[in-house]
Amino acid sequence: MEAKKAAKLRLGWIVIGILAVLTAVEFWVAIAINSALLYLAVLALAKAALIVQYFMHVNQLWHKEGHE
Amino acid sequence: MSTATTHTSAVVHPEYDRLALNRFGLWLFFFSESLIFLILLLTRFYLFGTSRPEELNQTLGLAITVILLLSSFTAYRAETAIAHDDRPQFLRNLLATILLGTLFLLGVVLVEWPEAPRLGIVPQEGFGIAFFSMTGMHAFHVLSGVLLLLMVYLNGRRGAYSSDSYWGVEASIKYWHFVDVVWVFFYPALYLL
Repeated sequence: MEAKKAAKLRLGWIVIGILAVLTAVEFWVAIAINSALLYLAVLALAKAALIVQYFMHVNQLWHKEGHE
Repeated sequence: MSTATTHTSAVVHPEYDRLALNRFGLWLFFFSESLIFLILLLTRFYLFGTSRPEELNQTLGLAITVILLLSSFTAYRAETAIAHDDRPQFLRNLLATILLGTLFLLGVVLVEWPEAPRLGIVPQEGFGIAFFSMTGMHAFHVLSGVLLLLMVYLNGRRGAYSSDSYWGVEASIKYWHFVDVVWVFFYPALYLL
């Protein structure tokens, strides 16, 4: 139980770390590149996918999970 | 025989089916909400293309984005904690989420909105139409999210949730993440392009 909780908390750190890096890249892309629409769209999609997959647990919709 | 088996199965797992239905309903709600935000986003691009006023406060935009992302992280930790019956950590992280959400809201309403007209971005014309309607609609959802989380926090303090039953926590935290996902698209559209 504790190991499972620790693993989930560790996953949270990894996801927020990646989100922070992607946000920094987004900011840099906006400054450095003139026509950045495509890059910014890809980065936003990647960030949204991370949140939906790992924070919102979208896979609970097709993998039935009850509360532990 | 088969009827009896089906009936028994339904009686044994009513909560399980209820939870699956609740989740499905919540995602349907997210889908319908997404359409509202998508229309706002498309309107912004239709009216103003890929241009935006240079004067917009980039530092503030980045700061409130980081605050909202951090609040999603603390919300995730709160849900994980209650799923493992760690009530103190659940309450601590939920309170942090509420505070960060309030900070985001104050940043938009008390700093960004009064500052924008001074930079020539007014709600009645030009880019201000998109800026104020997008940030306004989003801020309204942040406000409702903060109120929801506050209700969950007060219930949590009374011991209303456990690892066996925390749908109220799960639903309100999912809603909070949804509000964050919306901002993930609004932030570059308003501040970075």
